[in-house]
Amino acid sequence: MQQHRKLFFRLALGVSIGWLLMAAAIPRKKITVWMIGDSTMCTYDANRSPLTGWGMPFAVFFDSSVSVANRARGGRSTRTFLSENRWQPVADSILPGDYVLIQFGHNDEAKEPQYADRYTPVADYRKNLLRFIQNTRSRSGIPILITPVTRRRFNKEGNIMETHKEYTQAVYELGAEQGVPVVDLDTRSRELLQEFGKDNSRVLFMELDSLENPHYPSGSHDNTHFNEFGARKIAELVWKEMKRLHLELADRVRMPIVK
Amino acid sequence: MHKTIIPLLLSVALCAFLPPRRITVWLVGDSTMANKEVRAFPETGWGMPFSHFFDSTVSVDNRAKNGRSTKSFIEEKLWQPIVDGMAEGDYVFVQFGHNDEVKEKTGRYTTLDEFKANLSRYVNETREKKAIPVLITPVARRAFDAAGNVRETHTAYADAVREVAARLQVPLIDLDQEGMALLQQMGPVNSKWLYDYVEPGEHPNYPEGKQDDTHFSELGARKIAEIVLKDVRSLRLELAQHIYVPKAK
Repeated sequence: MQQHRKLFFRLALGVSIGWLLMAAAIPRKKITVWMIGDSTMCTYDANRSPLTGWGMPFAVFFDSSVSVANRARGGRSTRTFLSENRWQPVADSILPGDYVLIQFGHNDEAKEPQYADRYTPVADYRKNLLRFIQNTRSRSGIPILITPVTRRRFNKEGNIMETHKEYTQAVYELGAEQGVPVVDLDTRSRELLQEFGKDNSRVLFMELDSLENPHYPSGSHDNTHFNEFGARKIAELVWKEMKRLHLELADRVRMPIVK
Repeated sequence: MHKTIIPLLLSVALCAFLPPRRITVWLVGDSTMANKEVRAFPETGWGMPFSHFFDSTVSVDNRAKNGRSTKSFIEEKLWQPIVDGMAEGDYVFVQFGHNDEVKEKTGRYTTLDEFKANLSRYVNETREKKAIPVLITPVARRAFDAAGNVRETHTAYADAVREVAARLQVPLIDLDQEGMALLQQMGPVNSKWLYDYVEPGEHPNYPEGKQDDTHFSELGARKIAEIVLKDVRSLRLELAQHIYVPKAK
């Protein structure tokens, strides 16, 4: 009896070790991470550097099981992303298990008359986000909502200001209602900027003196768009949030160099 | 009258059809200049942003390599293919010192005399190919004293570069001094942003975090590249005529 027990445990141990080894050896299913959003997320040509969308450094976080398709585009709101037929080709390409990362708001909320072409009232914003979610799910993809990344705006006391209020709120509500994970980039990025402080946070944005960089001979003063450093910091926040949300995607990052 | 004007007009017309001369800028140096693999990000060599600063007549060929000194770069036959590939009018930017100056690094350590002799060899062999050498002092490390003043870490080797540049009349870019000035301007705390500093759990490439006072972040690499470009202008190198100019909107 004792003998049998030992044998059984040995067998069980052997089987489970073997199983673990096999699991490690089985390559993960290849997936695509689709990114839809605006100028803060999109890719840029090298001759516009250091202007960098956070999708660019984000894309190189992952191992070979993940390919990132960054379809974000500058100046787009949820409405114009749809009306310019940028969404349908993505929706048609989603395979089961693919992720769709959705970050809009900067252009939806632009009420100034010169941005009438992109402005989207918050009710429509919600409706459009819902459409992205439903289309993604109908293809067995996994939608992830991302609240709009913050702008660099501080009050006189040096406190970061909330600039996306009702649009970020709409993302929270929709996420809760639809059971969609929400990466709260608005809050996380405000915390980051607060940590840097009012003046120092310039180092994250497209702030260039004239003649400093040949791509911007007359300099750049921009409190919305990130440079390569800021974009990477934002990408890191997104990854951290994904870990916090226990998204399986967060585990698919590349293996670090063993030293 | 016509006899002189017609050939002249013809040659002008022909010139218009000639493709612009293409220049290669060869980057020769160590890890602070080199291209990085994605798995080393955010570590960035300053040659990476620098390569995007020129118009289509220039291609930047970054041959800098992690861990190399003037000596090991030659011994490993990294230099000869560059000499063979050089064409008249090309530029060769040479920046070493970080590995030459470390006595403990056997195989790379280079005495000051050897260092100067090697630099002279890079210069002379570049000139033999009618290409243009540019010498660069080793870019500053992030080092401050207790009072918050930036410290010189390359003294002897930076001086050696200056000496060779003066003797052979080679354009000099003083990244040791200019890097230190940038560090001083940012101060002991904020200057960390220029280097490869990562908190644990922040970046997938460095789960345990990273604190590196030698290698640059993407921000530091770009700031250094901007300094190099500024010097290309102030040294009045012909290369400055090929700096990228955005299309008017």
